[in-house]
Amino acid sequence: MTPGAPELNAALVRVAQVRDRAAFAVLFSHFAPRVKAYLLRLGASPALAEDLAQEALLSLWRKAHLFDPAKASAATWLFTIARNLRIDTIRREKRPELDPDDFMSAAEPAADDSLALADDESRLRAALKDLPPDQVQVIELSFFADKPHSQIAGELGIPLGTVKSRLRLAMARLKRALGEAE
Amino acid sequence: MIRHHPEGALLLAYAGGATDEAMSLILATHMAYCETCRAEVSRLETIGGSLLQEIAPVPMSGGALDAALAKLDTAKPFERRPRPVSRDGTPAVLSRTIGGDLGTVRWRRVSAKLSYLPLFRHGSVTVRLLRGVPGAQTGAHHHQGPEYTLVLKGGFTDVTGSYGPGDLQVMEGEMRHNPIADPGEDCINLAVTTGHLKFEAPLQRIVAPLFGF
Repeated sequence: MTPGAPELNAALVRVAQVRDRAAFAVLFSHFAPRVKAYLLRLGASPALAEDLAQEALLSLWRKAHLFDPAKASAATWLFTIARNLRIDTIRREKRPELDPDDFMSAAEPAADDSLALADDESRLRAALKDLPPDQVQVIELSFFADKPHSQIAGELGIPLGTVKSRLRLAMARLKRALGEAE
Repeated sequence: MIRHHPEGALLLAYAGGATDEAMSLILATHMAYCETCRAEVSRLETIGGSLLQEIAPVPMSGGALDAALAKLDTAKPFERRPRPVSRDGTPAVLSRTIGGDLGTVRWRRVSAKLSYLPLFRHGSVTVRLLRGVPGAQTGAHHHQGPEYTLVLKGGFTDVTGSYGPGDLQVMEGEMRHNPIADPGEDCINLAVTTGHLKFEAPLQRIVAPLFGF
C-alpha cells in the first residue's frame, strides 16, 4: 500500500520538526525509486540515477526545514530538488533561481491553506490523466526531455507552432480543472 | 504594472528544468518583478510533482535505504546562501551574476548615449546588460535568432509597444525594430540574444562586431 499525499506531507513535516528517521524511511521508500525513474527518463545511466536519487533524498533530509506544506506538496517540493540536482550535476550548468526575498512587488501571494492545495494537486493529477495523448506528450517532454521546445518539435516532426498550441490547449484544460471546483 | 510577460510555454520549460542558464536568468529576474508569473511557475511545478508521483517507480538497489539512513547523522542542515547586500534593490538572482548591484556596474561605452556590460556567453547565446540615456537608439536591426529583453530600470519604445521595469520583450529573429529609450531615467535592460544583431546602417554593421554584438 503506497502512502497518499497527506501521509507523505506529514512525514516530511515530521522530518523537519523532530528529525524522525522512520518518517524519512517512508519518504525514501516512496520517492527514491520515483526520482530514479525520473532521472532515467532524462537519460541518466542506472548507476548515476541511483546515486542522484540517494543524493536527492539526502537533500530532502538536509532541507526539510525549508519545506512549507502551505506552498507545495512533498512530491512537488522534491521534484524541484531533483530537477535542480540534475541541472547541476548532469547538465553541469547553473540555474539562476529567484531568491526567496527577491520580490520587487510587496504583495505576498494569497495565503493558501494546505488542504486546498492538496485538493488542487489531486484534481491536477486527474486532469493530466484525461488529457489527449498528444497534449500529454508535449507536457511530459517539457519535464522529461531537457530540451527546448524547438528541439522537441524537431524530434516529433511537427512545427514549433504545433508544440506551442498543444501546450496552450493542455494548460488551458489543466487550469479549467483547477478552477472548476472553486 | 507589468504588461509584457513570457508566454506559458516558456514558463513551463522553466518549471520543468529545460531552460538553459541564460533563459533561466532572464525568467527568474522577470519573476522578481512579476508576482503573476511567479505564481504561475509554482502552479506549473505542481505538474512536475504530479508526474513524479505518477511515474512508474524503478526499484533502488538492495541496501540503498540503509546506506541513506547511515548518512543522516552526519548530514549538515542546508543553509541558504547569504543574500547579497543591495543598495538599489537589484534582485539577488541578478546581482549574483553581475557580481554586485546595478549601481556598481562598470559600463563599457559604445557611444555617448549607449553602453553595455557582457555577462556571459554560451555557444551562440549572449547575455548582457544594456544602458541607454533617454532618447538613445540602438539603430534598426533584426536578429539571427530570438532576442529577449527585460527592462530593469527606465523604459523603451519600439514598433511593438512600450516596455517598463519588469516587462519582457520577445523578438523572433526576422522581426525588425529600433528601440528608443524613453524620457526620464536611463533605460537599463538585461538582454539574451542568439547569434549576432543584424544592423541596417552601414556604419553600425562595421562597428557592431567590434563590440561583440
